[in-house]
Amino acid sequence: MKLELRNLTKTYGPLTVLDRVSLSLEEVHSLVFIGPSGGGKTTLLRLIAGLETPDDGEIIINDHPVEFGSEETLREYRKRIGMVFQAYNLFPHLTALENITLPLVKVHGYAPERAREEALILLERFHLADQAVKKPAQLSGGQKQRIAICRAVAIRPEFLLLDEPTSALDPEYTSEVLDLIGELRSEGMRLILVTHEMGFARQAADYLLFVGDGGIISQGRPEILFGKTGDERVSRFLNKVLKYN
Amino acid sequence: MNSYLHDLPGGTNRKAHLISGVFVALLLAGVFWFGFSRLGYRFAWSTIYEYRLNFLRGYGITLLLSLFALILSLLLGVLFGLGQKSRFLPYRYFSLFYVELIRGTPLLVQILIFFYVIANAAGLNNRFVVGVLIMALFAGAYIAEIIRGGVESIGESQRETARSLGFSPVQTYRYVIFPQVLTRILPSLAGQLASLIKDSSLLSVIAIKEFTMAAREMNANTFSTLEAYVPLAVGYLLLTLPISRLTRLLERKFSYET
Repeated sequence: MKLELRNLTKTYGPLTVLDRVSLSLEEVHSLVFIGPSGGGKTTLLRLIAGLETPDDGEIIINDHPVEFGSEETLREYRKRIGMVFQAYNLFPHLTALENITLPLVKVHGYAPERAREEALILLERFHLADQAVKKPAQLSGGQKQRIAICRAVAIRPEFLLLDEPTSALDPEYTSEVLDLIGELRSEGMRLILVTHEMGFARQAADYLLFVGDGGIISQGRPEILFGKTGDERVSRFLNKVLKYN
Repeated sequence: MNSYLHDLPGGTNRKAHLISGVFVALLLAGVFWFGFSRLGYRFAWSTIYEYRLNFLRGYGITLLLSLFALILSLLLGVLFGLGQKSRFLPYRYFSLFYVELIRGTPLLVQILIFFYVIANAAGLNNRFVVGVLIMALFAGAYIAEIIRGGVESIGESQRETARSLGFSPVQTYRYVIFPQVLTRILPSLAGQLASLIKDSSLLSVIAIKEFTMAAREMNANTFSTLEAYVPLAVGYLLLTLPISRLTRLLERKFSYET
């Protein structure tokens, strides 16, 4: 996946969250954003997801600029990507299975039978078949997030965006979600991931962006970014988050 | 039934529930018995027998009128409940004015104005139709508020998720928001239906021959007030008690969300 950002700027009122961010990446399979809270990584991800419109600048993915001009073109764009949220955001009135089939049937025009088959194959593969007819309230956090990931990949997206997918989880469920993400990655699913799990970031990322203070402070392959030579702000942040690891 | 008892304060002691229920019923009966005995009223139940057809016809009219009004008021409720959030400002303000005016004025005044001013000017002479329209307009404003509250109670994250999955705004309402709103507001809607049935009794002031009108007529002709109005209370209770029972049931059934 080629990703290019040109002078990307996003403000909320007087607050400039992203300030003229530029970036050019060739063929990256899994891109991970790390950095301090409030530094702009989630905003950057949401811009790439087409959920926010920038105040200025462009996002170019695989040589196609994201058209922020109208809600219709954005909707077409969103249909081609998968998004996973921190708080799972499953629809509470639908079963796990229906959460996956609803977008397939209503947005992507699958016949209900085929959507069901596809969803069941996915659930089976990720050992969630027993949970298919349960409502989200009956599921554990880890199960909910894995089903949310199934929902996002069921549409066969061009790439998958994950916004701190393990931050809302009890620690015991973190690994089952990270395992699933790792499995998808090894199958060739392209990912952009925001995370605070440094161990996972290091292991799963082809390329890391350290986002903070309204821009990209540092970037590079994991062995370089986690090495000793990096930016001072990066090493200070890493020292803090890795203190008890 | 068992689980219903389990959830109540007072625990699972069936005997205690039974005794308490009987005690309260006896207490109420005692109070009424005392009141009526002091009054020294001699009931002449034979009068109501002569008026039984009048009462039954009125009961039927009340039921039918409430039913039509309910259907129409649901449509109005959706229309103006969503309208209060519309980006099209005239629609939004029309919705706001409608809801505030209806909710802020007595039903009696609305009935009189609608009947003598609006319906008269529009050449609408069928009292039943006028009654349905008035009750629908009245209940519609309350239902609009119920629906607005229900829609607002669905978190922004649900809309955003639907957006991220490529749902159009219409699809988001149709498949994500409305199903959840409906389950949340069903108890309030059932309560509104019970109110609608009772409130329709005021339509007797414009001489619609509904249930209360039957009692008023009988009272006017025979001066047997209590024989006319006590059956009235029983008749309304027979309609509203099952509804409030149903409301409890619905609340339980849809408590899946945490």
